[in-house]
Amino acid sequence: MSYTRRDFLKTTLGASALLSFTSAAPRFLVRAATAASRRDDRGTILVVVQLSGGNDGLNTVVPYGDDQYARNRPTLALPPEELYKIDSLLGFHPRMAGFMRLYENGHLSIVQGVGSPNSDRSHDGAMRIWHTADPEQPGRQTGWLGRAADSIWQASRTEAPAVFVGPITQPFGLNAENAIVPSIRSIQDLTADQLPGHENGQSLWKHAAELPRSDHVNPLLPFVQRCTLNACATARRIEAVAKTAPGNAEYPHFQLAGTLRTVAQLIRADVGIRIFFTELGGGGIGGFDNHANQLGNHCSLLHHLSESLAAFIDDLEREKLLDRVLVMTFSEFGRTILENGRRGTGHGAAAPVFLAGGRLKGGLVGPHPSLTDLDNGAPKFHTDFRRVYATVLDQWLGFDSRIVLGRQFEQLDILNV
Amino acid sequence: MDVQVEKARGRLESVQSRPAVAEKLSDPGWAWAPYEPDVDRPWNLAKAGHLYRRAAFGAGWDQLKQALSDGPQRTVDGLLSPQADTEAFNRTCDEYEVSVGSINDLRAWWLRRMIQTPHPLLEKMTLFWHSHFATNGSEVKNARLMQQHIRLLRGGALKSFAGLLEDISRDPAMLIWLGADANRKARPSDNFARPLMETFTMGSGHCTEKDIQEASRAFTGWFVLRGKLIYIPREHDGSVKYILGREGNFTSDDVLRIVLEQRATSQMLVHKLYRWLICETEKPDEITIAPLVESFAKDYDLLKLVETMLRSNLFFSSAAYRRRIKCPVEFALGIVKGLEAMVSTTQLAEDLAGLGQNLYYPPTVKGWTGGRYWIDSVSMIGRYNLASALLRGSGPYGDKLNPWAIAQEHGCSEAESAARFLVDLFLQNDLDPNVYETLMKAARTTAGTDSGGLEKGMRCFAHSAVTLPEFHLA
Repeated sequence: MSYTRRDFLKTTLGASALLSFTSAAPRFLVRAATAASRRDDRGTILVVVQLSGGNDGLNTVVPYGDDQYARNRPTLALPPEELYKIDSLLGFHPRMAGFMRLYENGHLSIVQGVGSPNSDRSHDGAMRIWHTADPEQPGRQTGWLGRAADSIWQASRTEAPAVFVGPITQPFGLNAENAIVPSIRSIQDLTADQLPGHENGQSLWKHAAELPRSDHVNPLLPFVQRCTLNACATARRIEAVAKTAPGNAEYPHFQLAGTLRTVAQLIRADVGIRIFFTELGGGGIGGFDNHANQLGNHCSLLHHLSESLAAFIDDLEREKLLDRVLVMTFSEFGRTILENGRRGTGHGAAAPVFLAGGRLKGGLVGPHPSLTDLDNGAPKFHTDFRRVYATVLDQWLGFDSRIVLGRQFEQLDILNV
Repeated sequence: MDVQVEKARGRLESVQSRPAVAEKLSDPGWAWAPYEPDVDRPWNLAKAGHLYRRAAFGAGWDQLKQALSDGPQRTVDGLLSPQADTEAFNRTCDEYEVSVGSINDLRAWWLRRMIQTPHPLLEKMTLFWHSHFATNGSEVKNARLMQQHIRLLRGGALKSFAGLLEDISRDPAMLIWLGADANRKARPSDNFARPLMETFTMGSGHCTEKDIQEASRAFTGWFVLRGKLIYIPREHDGSVKYILGREGNFTSDDVLRIVLEQRATSQMLVHKLYRWLICETEKPDEITIAPLVESFAKDYDLLKLVETMLRSNLFFSSAAYRRRIKCPVEFALGIVKGLEAMVSTTQLAEDLAGLGQNLYYPPTVKGWTGGRYWIDSVSMIGRYNLASALLRGSGPYGDKLNPWAIAQEHGCSEAESAARFLVDLFLQNDLDPNVYETLMKAARTTAGTDSGGLEKGMRCFAHSAVTLPEFHLA
């Protein structure tokens, strides 16, 4: 089953019926319905996956074909024969079968050598830059996705533009000056919680909000009525999806997989949320922050990432929703090429950004950074992370990246849109 | 139920159903004159509820009844300066807070104070200043400094804005949050001067980049070291500065004096308080608020300004009634205050954060924008679910809130009268007849006959009442 936004409004508000009998329907409902049918937004969805702690890109997309790799990593170098080979230089980590499959199907692109100017290589400082998208003003108080949410806000809209899904404190990237970006832990947070014995509570909620009011002057009353009606419809649709979901999709038993499964349900419910933010690594400094004995821990994190994301993409593809979804991973920085004395690596600069979805050109984007031309022991970045953001904002979401990022960035040719 | 209440409740006498012929909204003399009830604009339950929503966090039934018999001006007297010993209450609360180890726990203590205080207007204004001088604990990372910060806001909330501004300019939490904790002569930073001029006082567009840079030099010499404010004279730039047309060897205090001399400062604050206390749907026209701006510019007396607003014809007019969207705190406490009990505020602080209002952590230095931003389909589901959690009778909030018990306490003995009571309590019965009938019809079908069924039924009924669109309006 696949719904468009228009179907959604038809079923919930009866848009077409309202349009044909305009005189009988309350004016504010007609206005909502006309706005919806005129609506020209693409309904595209962005899912961001934050890899907290600084993912070692060199052991994720492994440059096995370059002698420098094994030479610098006496204990951490992965054996070439175990990698999923992309070409004669690169291969995915041995536990990333899922990513390899997505890559082969054209559902995954690897933007190589992405990083940020002014990174001080501290977790907090670097993460702050990826969140604010403003390396010149590290103290900036809004996140790029928060600003994106603000940029599309309209006084008449009743949908939440973005949500954070996960068990940790909301990442700063969603901090908005005006818009409220909710955090949810599970799908139950978005269904209506009925009191015992109040079985008709939800229909009463809806019915009481639909009734016409005699006050035609106060603009807030119809606005709250519309929000309530949209909330009723949203809760209903999500309940319906939550009921039908089990069995339809196979997700591994990882936390990220559970989170992405929730995101998939919310996408299926088609409730107007354009941006989902999720996280792997436990938030703050943890997860990918391995300075000692990195191999085993990194291995399981990459496995979680790869298999969870692959399950998510498979689920969306089965539901014929993949063309509407773009996933983007990021981490605050990559790692040094040389391992330290404790079988770990230091904080670096460049790292790959993964994009997954149904409208990608696929393949590798940009060259792999040099393993000899280094910046404090780490591969240098050649692609400013804001070029990826700008591409996603403008070409995918249809927002104005200049409003969000403050200026124009050269876009990447990575999407089939 | 009293005859007086019966008389005062009716939908016929509600503010909005009567044409506003008697309101001379555009006449400043009329707008700011104290409201005296008359035949066209009677004092009623709806207006008492309105006053308690704006100047407090809602009211219990006894307060509403008392307000009806006291009339508007005496009720405002009590809200401005309650008879109970507010200072002793706040001292006790402060003592508890000092021993609290985390900022998250401070949120719970503040909510508790909002619910129990004998002076709710003071907390309401403290919340206003928390959004005006918005300081986010995640950057300060120090519960003691955040406690001092909110205490500072409370201490000045209804006194002099000039004094409050001076305290804020020396508040370690504020300076740490803004990254203005090291103002070196060699590297003056505009981290405090910019929000001071653009956000806290005049508002944007009233000063130039140059004014901000010059003012930044006046703030050199101030540092926060180990949570304490210190002044290092050799780090102060004592040379001449040019600020807003003035010239002198200005210090930080001079900058505050200069921005307070600007009419734009008074104007900005009057506008902002108007939006908080009176109406957020339309800006007041300049002629209407001119007398307040003039007067406030002279003394920056907050109590006087707030008092003028709360007593006014405009405040009690149709231009103000239900013309604000409740912030999450107002939504939740409206339920709690109405049902006269204390709930777990640790849980409540978390739930309010989920609705977008994380106390002690405002999103930016500009605070919460609020208004329509508070509400969308997702936060509306969140409010619905918070009401369910509060009224469930079990779970994280326990059985503290019991609508049926409260209705009985106030003389109701069966479902119909209890339902009417709850509509009076939460909505002052100011609903369109069709909405009211729909609600009452539901009450008849949900409520059982035995007392257990009635308790359950009234929980459901109260839930339906507080999830009506009207209840989200302040």
